Amino acid sequence: MDNSILGKFQYVDDLLAAAETCKQSGYAISIISPVPLVHEIEHTFGEGKNPIKYFTGVGAVTGLLFGILFTIITSLLYVLPRAGRPIIAIPPTLLISYETTILFGVLFTLLGFIVLALVPYFKESEYDVEIAIDAFGLRVHGVGEDKFSDIEKVMRENGSSDVKRIEKK
Amino acid sequence: MAGLLARIAERWNIHREPGFFKKLDHKWTMVIDLDKCNGCGACVTSCYAENNLPVVGKEECGVSRAFSWLRIERYVEGEYPDVKVKFIPVMCQHCSKAPCETGCPVYATYHNQDGLNVQVYNRCVGTFTCATYCTYDVRRFNWRTYKFEQPLDQQLNPDVSVREMGIMEKCTFCIQRIRAAKDKAKDEGKTVEDGDIQTACVQTCPTGAMTFGDLQDADSKVAKLAKSPRRYKLLEELNTDPSVIYLKRVMKEGPSKHG
Amino acid sequence: MDRSITYKEATEDISGIITKTGWRYYAILTLMGVSGVSFLFLPWAYQIYAGQGVTGLNAPIFWGLYLVNFIYWVGIAHAGTLISAMLYITHTPWRRAIARGAETMTFFALFLVTLFIFIHMGRPWNFYWTFPYPSQREIWTSFVSPITFDVFAIGTYTTSSIVFLFFGMIPDIASLSHTTTGWRKSLYTFLSFGWRGTDRQWHLQAKACMFFAAFIMPLVVSVHSVVSWDFALSVVPGYAKTIFAPYFVTGALLSGFAGVLLMLSVMREAYPVIKKYVTAYHYDRVTVFVVVLSMIWSYLTLMEVVTGLYANTSQEIEHLKYKLAISPFSYLFALMIFSNSVMPLLYIFKKLRSSFIGRFIIPVFVLVGMWLERFLIVPNSLSRKFLPWMWHDYSPTWVEVSITAGAFFFFISMFMIFIKVFPIIAIFEVKEDIGIPMRKPH
Repeated sequence: MDNSILGKFQYVDDLLAAAETCKQSGYAISIISPVPLVHEIEHTFGEGKNPIKYFTGVGAVTGLLFGILFTIITSLLYVLPRAGRPIIAIPPTLLISYETTILFGVLFTLLGFIVLALVPYFKESEYDVEIAIDAFGLRVHGVGEDKFSDIEKVMRENGSSDVKRIEKK
Repeated sequence: MAGLLARIAERWNIHREPGFFKKLDHKWTMVIDLDKCNGCGACVTSCYAENNLPVVGKEECGVSRAFSWLRIERYVEGEYPDVKVKFIPVMCQHCSKAPCETGCPVYATYHNQDGLNVQVYNRCVGTFTCATYCTYDVRRFNWRTYKFEQPLDQQLNPDVSVREMGIMEKCTFCIQRIRAAKDKAKDEGKTVEDGDIQTACVQTCPTGAMTFGDLQDADSKVAKLAKSPRRYKLLEELNTDPSVIYLKRVMKEGPSKHG
Repeated sequence: MDRSITYKEATEDISGIITKTGWRYYAILTLMGVSGVSFLFLPWAYQIYAGQGVTGLNAPIFWGLYLVNFIYWVGIAHAGTLISAMLYITHTPWRRAIARGAETMTFFALFLVTLFIFIHMGRPWNFYWTFPYPSQREIWTSFVSPITFDVFAIGTYTTSSIVFLFFGMIPDIASLSHTTTGWRKSLYTFLSFGWRGTDRQWHLQAKACMFFAAFIMPLVVSVHSVVSWDFALSVVPGYAKTIFAPYFVTGALLSGFAGVLLMLSVMREAYPVIKKYVTAYHYDRVTVFVVVLSMIWSYLTLMEVVTGLYANTSQEIEHLKYKLAISPFSYLFALMIFSNSVMPLLYIFKKLRSSFIGRFIIPVFVLVGMWLERFLIVPNSLSRKFLPWMWHDYSPTWVEVSITAGAFFFFISMFMIFIKVFPIIAIFEVKEDIGIPMRKPH
């Protein structure tokens, strides 16, 4: 059972102040916003982890190897001389592997983004129409029955206009 | 998977063999003696008959879509009355370093073991790259479906395919005759000898200006003619290394400037 | 950007472009769609049926208007990715309001690029033979061919552009899925793929976007270089020039930026609400790019001619004579120089940058000039190859002209459909531009 509280804010500095208080009390929080707050959040909480870079790195290396091996092996599978050029020609191999490096890098980055950022949220439906437009939401996870009023108080003190409780079975 | 790897290893060894590109079975070459050529055009006609070339008519010829694989180029020098007309038969030069072969993405044109620049009609997708890259403008394209009406279809050469719309083609050095001669020699347990193969144009040439043979065979006629001091290759400076050798025409005032 | 615009207003303005549709829109869309089909697809069907003989191509000139259009549309595609990728990496703020429109142009231009490759082929029904795939024929593709480079470069470019465009739209689509109803809501809910706008998602979005931008920036340069190598790797005079790769890339960016300017101007007239977001400031910035690119282009054009003269082979001289001294190509060359080198210089005057002339006239000139540049390179060089016996001229037939024109109509109609389904201005980026609301401004 994950009980959580969603508070809506008009101003980002209010939200960050409330978030900091909640985080110091040991709650897991998430900030929901219509615009990226990457810099502001980094400024307050420090830089987050970036696991996508592993996907990108693996993708780029895979692409490079694929490009090199693919051009070499397919040329060897059916040896046809053309215009006195070598069967394993180096400049085209470099060029093709350059393109496949980019192609695989892009596709793996997309895969990483989908796996890490989209899939875990498929079933999360707590989302407010206002947050899609001009409100900023602070969600505090794992709040027990007794602590509810404490968190609400923190939010209200920091300028939250609307606090609501979300229960999940 | 193991089979695939074995095959790759085998091909790797083939292509690592020293002189893989130069060690050809034959090196078919044509020598054209311009001193003997009188520009009659019999070779062009025989090429049409041998290779099932469509006759496209006046309008298409007017927009430079004549289908001749072999053409006689005429150049006029000087003003009347002091005029010199010069001519040179030009067909696919079967370049050893052909620009067209690098252009094709689907291997429709490549170099075979006889040193020929071959065109595989069924693989062609018609990107026009080969024809654009060709320095001699000898490639011909099937702009439309050319039909051979009754009774003209009766005179088609059964050894040569009739090409469909949308593909590129060019002089093959009458590869069907080369094939037949090699098959016959193989059946008799011999190798192809000089003079066994004559392309249609060589066979037709009334003055004997054209000679066809294997340059690798040192005793062949073409190998001897190729040593002539009059020898030159068309647009040699482009480094395409053609297989057609021209012998310069000798005129009153010395060798002609343009062959 | 006007900081007094509220977030709510921005959302309403931009989703208003999507949802509020007048009769004029339908009238123009119908006109463009019908013209696109009848000018592009019907002649193409006729050409597939009757063969390439219906074009004006002939024995030495095998590449005509279709290849010209192919390069032209690759060029138009370039500005979109450059604006969104290069300016993203350099954190240029004015990128935000115009990037989505430019990326959309890229997407549809690449669609036409692919179409023109198929249109120019002799046997387009066998187009898939140019892709490497295992088949019973056991044959792959020849990797020394520049056409194979094209398959890989343009394939990668198209894939990356689609990924970049739709990836960038996910937050907007999610926000629209809450404000729309009916079929749009179902579509947007599906396409938002679970986007909620949490801090973690935004963090990963920014990182992924940076990676995409870093990949796409070198790709932009490589794609048009590869396209130029279709020509530069031959030995034909007029084609075999080492200067072609930078020349083509510069020309592509020049035409792409002109395309972006014209597109923005037309959009601003059609939807006056966009004037709030795309302002004179944006014109000011983009036109600076146009001036710089135009000057680089002029230099490279001069170098192309001068290196030909310097080579001084008879073929090069004949080719230059044909291009520079014989009507009508000499007039076309003069028009090209006027449109690409002289007209963009007007942007030096600050007042002209966002005036009517700067918004409409100069971009149109540049677009025409860049088309002429490709025309003067592609079929013209082939008219004067090596053996004078085969010299021939080229004049396009109605089929080629009609397909060329139809491509523009088709492009416009696809663009018009797009702006009614997806936000043409990135909502979340515009909001970022407005500024993040703080109680205590710092």
